[in-house]
Amino acid sequence: MFFKSTYNELIKIIAKPRSYLGLAAITLIVGLILLAMKLDGGMYISLLTSPFEESLTFEGNLLNGNLVGFIILQMLIIHVPLLIAFVTGDLVSGEAAMGTIRMLLTKPVSRTKILLSKYLAGCIYTFFVLVWLAFMAIIMGKWLFGIGDLMVLKSDGLVVLQQEDVAWRFFFGFAIAFLSMVMIATLSLTFSCFSENSIGPIVSTMGIIILFTIIGTIEVPLFDTIRPYLFTTHMAAWRFMFDKPLLLNELWFSLTVLLAHIFVLLGIALYKFQRKDILS
Amino acid sequence: MMHKSATVCRLSPKKITLVFFLFLFAKAHSQIVNGNQIIYRVYAQLQKAKDYKVDATIKVDLPFIRILPINAKIFVKQPNKFKVESKSIAIVPRQGFDQLNKILSDTNEVTVIVQVTELVNKVDAQIISLIPLQDTGDLILAKLWIDVKQNLVLKSVLTTKLNGTILTEYSYGTFANYGLPDAMIFTVDIKKFKIPKAIAADINSNATKKVDKDLKNKKGKIIITLSNYLINKGISETVFIK
Repeated sequence: MFFKSTYNELIKIIAKPRSYLGLAAITLIVGLILLAMKLDGGMYISLLTSPFEESLTFEGNLLNGNLVGFIILQMLIIHVPLLIAFVTGDLVSGEAAMGTIRMLLTKPVSRTKILLSKYLAGCIYTFFVLVWLAFMAIIMGKWLFGIGDLMVLKSDGLVVLQQEDVAWRFFFGFAIAFLSMVMIATLSLTFSCFSENSIGPIVSTMGIIILFTIIGTIEVPLFDTIRPYLFTTHMAAWRFMFDKPLLLNELWFSLTVLLAHIFVLLGIALYKFQRKDILS
Repeated sequence: MMHKSATVCRLSPKKITLVFFLFLFAKAHSQIVNGNQIIYRVYAQLQKAKDYKVDATIKVDLPFIRILPINAKIFVKQPNKFKVESKSIAIVPRQGFDQLNKILSDTNEVTVIVQVTELVNKVDAQIISLIPLQDTGDLILAKLWIDVKQNLVLKSVLTTKLNGTILTEYSYGTFANYGLPDAMIFTVDIKKFKIPKAIAADINSNATKKVDKDLKNKKGKIIITLSNYLINKGISETVFIK
């Protein structure tokens, strides 16, 4: 019954035009980035290497599919939450707005299972959005720019990863990015349980992301204690996969913070959904 | 004998002063000639290899850069063609293989100063400084430690306006008679490397402060080991087209 309910939720997501906005946006944005890189990628490369150019020169295929894929992932992972929240923020509040929530909750399935099936459907949608992003960024990137070593510029230096050492890092990088996006899906679903319209949860989710990102970016001692526990601090945890050696302690801490947020928010959503008034 | 001594004693102070300055001029001139000759002999030896191809292993040991050692092929063609070919990304010093050749090629453009000798890897090396006559070029000072017996540059410190200072140590083997080294160790000053978070797009990193503290006055090395030289076999110009 749970899986049938999840299937139904997936059908609902597929049937809504807004579900394709995310995919279309990714296709358009990645297409534009690929075009820009093809026409003027050298400028971007010189920006990457400029801190070292006083003494060093870089030889080889610097602008390759791996680098382009990494750049796209880096650029888009900030914007993908909006595309995710667009769909997951509507999962419960959309039903309330359309008046279908009463009918939904009269089914012989517990409210917990209904919410979890909606959540699972939201996670599956998130997964496909990221798979599409990965396809556009890495597969199209490699097709257009070829293969080569990946040059990762970090604030503490430059890491050059050999091409045969990159694929598994992308795989786990996307897995961690997926966890970050699931965190966003959970947040918007939780807001969705509190709202009777779709706009509220989407705007609230983005508002929280913007607020936490600002707190995380401003280097004020006041925020030093809370910064490590903000989920936005750990949304870029996928970048740890592109470190050499891997910073496992930092990675585990980020995963723990994200998972903790997911469980707490899902708990709040379940609590609220169990007690949601559908009569008024 | 008495007569000769009397002749010397008859020299006026003016003449003694003139002889003294002539002696100094001759000494200085001989030093310039010697310095130029040493440089010329080193350059002539390097010119024996009109072109060469060599296998290289490049190991980068810089605090700011994490990269595994890579294999590459290096192509060099006189007077100034140079290319590194590798499947991997290769990081090489900006003042690499051809810089020294350029400096040695025209001693008329520099002042050659012969300094003291110094032991470099148990070899008595003559220190020679080259200062450009014009201040319009990139080079500020080149200091070379030269094995005058074998006409080999054992060590060099090049200071330029654009690329800072770089120390290079050379070790020679089979192709010493061409002036071609088996290994080169470049020491690079890395204290100026600072990457803004915005450029790194690493906004959540707190590494920048740590880096600022840790990397003051640190130096990094690039070690290039060279083997399988193919000398004067002819290299097509197309190899050097980027």
